[in-house]
Amino acid sequence: MAFEAQAAPVLEVRHVEKVYGSRNNVTRALADVSFTVNKGEFVGIMGASGSGKSTLLNCVSTIDTVTSGSVIINGADVTRLKQAKLTRFRREQLGFIFQDSNLLDTLTARENIALPLTIARTPAKETLARVEQVAQRLDIAGVLDKYPYQMSGGQQQRVAAARALVTDPAVILADEPTGALDSKNARLLLESLENMNHAYQATVLMVTHDSFAASYTNRVLFIRDGRIFTELRRGDSPRREFFDRIMEVVAMMGGEGSDAL
Amino acid sequence: MLCKLAWGNVRRAGKDYLVYLLTLTLAVTVFYAFNTISVQADLVLEEEGMPELLSTIMSGLTMFLATLMGFLMVYANNFIMKRRKKEFGLYQVLGMSRGQVSRVMALETAIVSGAALVLGIALGVGFSQLMTFFTASLFKTQIRDFHFFFSVPAFLITVGCLVAIFLVTLVFNLRVVRRAKVIDLMSAGRKNEAIKMRNPIVSAAIFILGTALIGIAYFRLLRDGLPIDSAPSEIEAAMNQFMLTTGIVVVGTILFFFGLSGFLLKVLQAARGLYWRGLNMFTVRQLSAKVNTMSFSMAIISMILFLAITSVTGGMSIASVMNTSVERSTIADYSRVVMYLGENVVNDPTYTGDIPMKLATEPVDILELSRSNVIDKGTSEERPFDLAGILGSHVQVEIYDSRPIGTKLPLVSLNDLAAAVDMPMPKGTNSSNASMMGLTVMKESDYNRYLDFRGKEHVDLGDDGYLITSDMGESVNKIYNADMREGVEIELGGRVLRPVAASVDEAASSFFNSSMGSNSGTIVVPDELVDASGLPLYASYFLGDYREGLTYDETEGYVRQDRSWDQILNADGSESAIWGMEATRAQSYESTNSMNGLISYLAIYIGFVLVVACAAILTIQQLSGVADSGKNCRILSELGTSNREIMRSVLVQQAIFFVFPLLMGVAHSFVALQVVIEIVALFGGMSIGGTVGVTCGIFLLCYGGYFVVTYFMSKGIVQDSIRLRHAQ
Repeated sequence: MAFEAQAAPVLEVRHVEKVYGSRNNVTRALADVSFTVNKGEFVGIMGASGSGKSTLLNCVSTIDTVTSGSVIINGADVTRLKQAKLTRFRREQLGFIFQDSNLLDTLTARENIALPLTIARTPAKETLARVEQVAQRLDIAGVLDKYPYQMSGGQQQRVAAARALVTDPAVILADEPTGALDSKNARLLLESLENMNHAYQATVLMVTHDSFAASYTNRVLFIRDGRIFTELRRGDSPRREFFDRIMEVVAMMGGEGSDAL
Repeated sequence: MLCKLAWGNVRRAGKDYLVYLLTLTLAVTVFYAFNTISVQADLVLEEEGMPELLSTIMSGLTMFLATLMGFLMVYANNFIMKRRKKEFGLYQVLGMSRGQVSRVMALETAIVSGAALVLGIALGVGFSQLMTFFTASLFKTQIRDFHFFFSVPAFLITVGCLVAIFLVTLVFNLRVVRRAKVIDLMSAGRKNEAIKMRNPIVSAAIFILGTALIGIAYFRLLRDGLPIDSAPSEIEAAMNQFMLTTGIVVVGTILFFFGLSGFLLKVLQAARGLYWRGLNMFTVRQLSAKVNTMSFSMAIISMILFLAITSVTGGMSIASVMNTSVERSTIADYSRVVMYLGENVVNDPTYTGDIPMKLATEPVDILELSRSNVIDKGTSEERPFDLAGILGSHVQVEIYDSRPIGTKLPLVSLNDLAAAVDMPMPKGTNSSNASMMGLTVMKESDYNRYLDFRGKEHVDLGDDGYLITSDMGESVNKIYNADMREGVEIELGGRVLRPVAASVDEAASSFFNSSMGSNSGTIVVPDELVDASGLPLYASYFLGDYREGLTYDETEGYVRQDRSWDQILNADGSESAIWGMEATRAQSYESTNSMNGLISYLAIYIGFVLVVACAAILTIQQLSGVADSGKNCRILSELGTSNREIMRSVLVQQAIFFVFPLLMGVAHSFVALQVVIEIVALFGGMSIGGTVGVTCGIFLLCYGGYFVVTYFMSKGIVQDSIRLRHAQ
């Protein structure tokens, strides 16, 4: 029990439901989804397209609202927050990494990474020091003064990761971060995420449909038709073995007539 | 089906079309309202001819401005097209022919143009009623009989312009569809223009260079003035210098805007605490990313605004100067001139007329001679034009040609007077030879009677004194003043004359009513010298004030009624004189006021259209920019920036785009007007205020209105793009 207390949940999703459409034409995107993520965990969410995994991420990230249920991050129920507080909450507690790196094309890498800090009115000196530190960690110090269009896709994604990490958020939400990368760059990014997770005790929630990407996590939640279908824990097993176990679940889900993953 | 599609598109793309509609509506309103000027002038002016002149000028000007508007609309339309390329590509992929796509687009343009026409005419009709009051005040009269009016010619001109604009836009649109490959249309959305970043140090250097060039140009302009001010022999060189100054300021302005964002970036970066704070760096970077597309148009717009401000201020100031001048040279309630035939006319060998001509020996009596004018000729009411019946005090004076009979050279000429004090001849006179620039001569006794009539002190020339009179302004008077100040001697009739005053008394130099100066130089000398020199008569001037207690109809009405007059014949049937100008004080003022009104009117019209055009271009560019930066705003929102902060950044960016060209235009105008004021001041006092203030206020309101519209539309676009991900 002592262990449980130490690994306090950073994120709690309780009985979340999301319904789209009007009375006559209802689509249930999420149905009674509940799970918790502890501090320092690297959690993957897998599911076919249309399974509700992106909706789930949007609800957790406060970009979308839930129909019922609650999402508690660091003790605060984000579903009850008002718009103004929500903006602030998002800024202070959450970091985002998207499939397209979503960097501002008019800003240099340094400015992109610094942006969440300047928005939060961090003093310039501290801002620049932290940008430098994160950039060293993610091996992008060399491209800090380049514009996004001057960087490779992998570098862009790592800059985006640095931007997500720089504010030291409670949870980093990654939406298919390797989706647009070739395998080499994908591996580099995943290693960076793993690295962040180990070095900074950063909590990462990553949505993916790629079993290889998922095998870098500590735990994978499988979603199907808006429900949590099953859960895999990596434990102490090597990544290779965890990958095989993930593939088994994927094959089983596919075998039951669901979309191939 | 195509109609339905087009109608749907217009409704859906309403936001994009709004600017287009707004600008076209404003154009129609302004075109219609200003072209009703002839109807308005009819309501407020008594004068014949002026309304026709006005309407001719206005319709010509409208054609010009419509062309300008046409290009603006093509530009506006490009913006819409850019955003809809993909859609047109989709139509073609779905199997519509290019012809059908073109037709959809033509229909859309037609719907919007039609809406603009209806709205614009409705606004224009209302606006023109209101404008009648404004017109009345511009022309300094009252509205005689106000009634609601609708001008068919103005309507037709407006429709014509709109159709022309429509056709031009259509041709350009169709070209876009015809030329584009489907693949290009489909990928138009993805083919975002590559963002090219300029080296901020280079930009800052360009900015400083531009600022320096503008400074140099200002200095040169203030030092050299306008070329028309310089001496005739140097005018070409001065013109070249002026062109150089203009060139420098144009280049400077372009460089200024080209380097502006880089400079701002560099300055802000130097202040680290400011740069790395909030969205400041985002704001500046967005600005510098747009420098390629925006800087040139900002430069152009600042120069167009400069033109608009200067034309309005300058035009209206000239009008106010004319007012001063009419006050000075309108001296009596009634004036009439008789001109005597000169030697070259009388002895003209090619003359084949029936009536013999000879030089006049005696001046005519204008008061008496006027009775030969007949009112209601050929009716039973026929009666002579009896000035004696309406006039109180009156006076007649004669002036003489300074070329004695039988000679070609004048005894006193401007050329000699200028040479005597080593001054150049005034501009526009350099080609005239000495015989052309002779002064006229007046007897001392005549001048004193004239002074009596004006209620002024007599002058006493003694045996050998002279005076020079002139109301033509500084350009010639500075020569006369120098002559009189330096005591230049003039030889006339065998006597050497010296000036008895130190300068020309301009207030006692006009001999008949006119709206501008008319006496380019008359020397007043002792009576006997005129007779001794054998000078021929040049003209007789008759001045009179209406008798007290008579009504407007009895005096002004009496003078203005139709009457006929014959040639002035001597007792032996020969001709020596002809009727010259006849003008009452009221007529003189009216013609000035009409001219003033005309100038002000044109200035406002041109200025207004230019300002609207500029503002519309800025709006369209800004909206297209905002649409492109929608993704960036969405990212900001996801990173936890409040909408308020994002909008503040957008506001700052747009304010810079709107305010800087305006400031630059105002700065240019300010310097240019300094010089213009110097020139215009030569002809009289200069005041900028009143109407000019109101007009500039309206311009600013209009410009600001576009700014507000831009901001609120941008707000909509930004909020839509922020919401975009939520909907996915």
